[in-house]
Amino acid sequence: MFEYSEFNIAPWGWEITVYFFLIGTAAMTYVYAAAPAVFGNVFGGIARSMEPFQKTGMLAALLLLLISGPLLIVDLGAPERFLYPILHFHWTSPLSWGALFLPLFGLCIVGFLAALWFNRPQLLKPIGILGMLLSLSMPLYTGLDLMVHQTRELWSNPTIPVLFVILSVSSGTALVSVIQLARGQFDDRTFEFLHWFLYVALGTTLALFLGELVTLLYGSEELQQAWTLINERFWVQFWVMTFGLGILAPFLLMIVTHYWKSAWVLTLAAVLAAVGAFFFRSVLIYAGQLTQIYY
Amino acid sequence: MPVGLQAQPSLGVPGKKRWAMVIDLRRCIGCMACVCADKAEYDVPLGVWRTIVKVKDTGSYPNTKRHFMPRLCNHCDNPPCVRNCPTEATYKHEEGFVLQRYERCISCRTCIAACPYNARHVLPKNRDRVKIGGVIDKCTFCHHRVAADLVPACVQTCLGRSRIFGDLNDPNSEVARLVARHSVVTLKPEKGTAPQVYYIKPDRVHTEQVLSRPVSHAARADAEAFYRHNRGTQFFSGVL
Repeated sequence: MFEYSEFNIAPWGWEITVYFFLIGTAAMTYVYAAAPAVFGNVFGGIARSMEPFQKTGMLAALLLLLISGPLLIVDLGAPERFLYPILHFHWTSPLSWGALFLPLFGLCIVGFLAALWFNRPQLLKPIGILGMLLSLSMPLYTGLDLMVHQTRELWSNPTIPVLFVILSVSSGTALVSVIQLARGQFDDRTFEFLHWFLYVALGTTLALFLGELVTLLYGSEELQQAWTLINERFWVQFWVMTFGLGILAPFLLMIVTHYWKSAWVLTLAAVLAAVGAFFFRSVLIYAGQLTQIYY
Repeated sequence: MPVGLQAQPSLGVPGKKRWAMVIDLRRCIGCMACVCADKAEYDVPLGVWRTIVKVKDTGSYPNTKRHFMPRLCNHCDNPPCVRNCPTEATYKHEEGFVLQRYERCISCRTCIAACPYNARHVLPKNRDRVKIGGVIDKCTFCHHRVAADLVPACVQTCLGRSRIFGDLNDPNSEVARLVARHSVVTLKPEKGTAPQVYYIKPDRVHTEQVLSRPVSHAARADAEAFYRHNRGTQFFSGVL
């Protein structure tokens, strides 16, 4: 009973997990919405299938940004100082870069919408390209924010930023699928476009999931402890929600779509992949913190 | 210089001081006077600590031993908390202290996440006497006392003289002699943080990660209840 006189709390809770998920989704939604303007007739013009989605997609990305930005600010202990990472910029902190890129990303969304609204098609491509680079930086910086913690072995892994980018592809695809299905604009080209992205996202997620497993199983004592923690406290989130529902089930549904081209099935697969994307991140964030708490 | 720091590490640099602490675990009796002195010196609120003494029991009756392990900020020469702070609120002092600028801290808790020694905490808001709250706090090696030629409060009060503080760059200081003559151990040296708190004769249960999990469920249940009660109000929503 006398063993622990202290049990400090792990610093990052649900707000960070939800923020990472929402900002990743917003980023990929932007990519889909800007794709027709940026890629045009490249790849056989398949990106043009997203043309009806442009305005709705940008509004959806803006809405997600308007939710996730304040969520991140409220999560701070001193929310009134939310501009400090920009005012006192520290170049070695990914959080500083994220704080810089986040409003710029918002500006790109607003700029793209304005160009659509006021019918300035010549502006769509440059804003689209700039916004796509910034949207890539959103999940990338959240992953880097974990990766740079050299002292937390579950995070200090160069695949984490890549994983976060891929997970944002899954969640963004889910949002686009749901919106397009609800609006009745899920034609064959849209199906083909989203199907390809979801396949790539799921395949890469599976590969990185297996890579994570190998790292955990063959890792140092801290990773061994993380492995025990994941299986004791987060096994439902890790094995059921991430691996079962988030990776295996969508893969099975994707096989179904080979024989039966159903927008409903593809949307269901994308939504399940998004659920997996959320829980994969949350397990990594939570379990990565607990090993230090125990030390 | 490691990236992201504001001052060069001063260890071994002639003409500069490098403050460090040696903790001789052969002398620690687990009285917790250091913890109390620290609480008194800084009015540290309930539920958070700048320094602690971890206690672990090994063996089974009649062959048992109780191990004590004072823990505090290691004032690393390559501190990951400093590198990761987005506002440079935490910074490296030229004499080795790792300090915190409360007026700049946004309490994003990145430094807590970065610290391998679990040495940082969030100060609750709405404190009664001290108005500093809602920001990150940590051990400062009692920088204000050292500047006035005093030793840190925990060192001053240590009954068994287990905690010894001094300038590691001065070869005649007690800490320099202890570090030179004993096989000292630092915590998690493999992380590359170059910690500057040296331990004499620590036990494996306190230094190795796989043995570090709390066995006492009563203590853990107490802590969980405490944080659950405060969740969302003073301590944000971090996970246990």
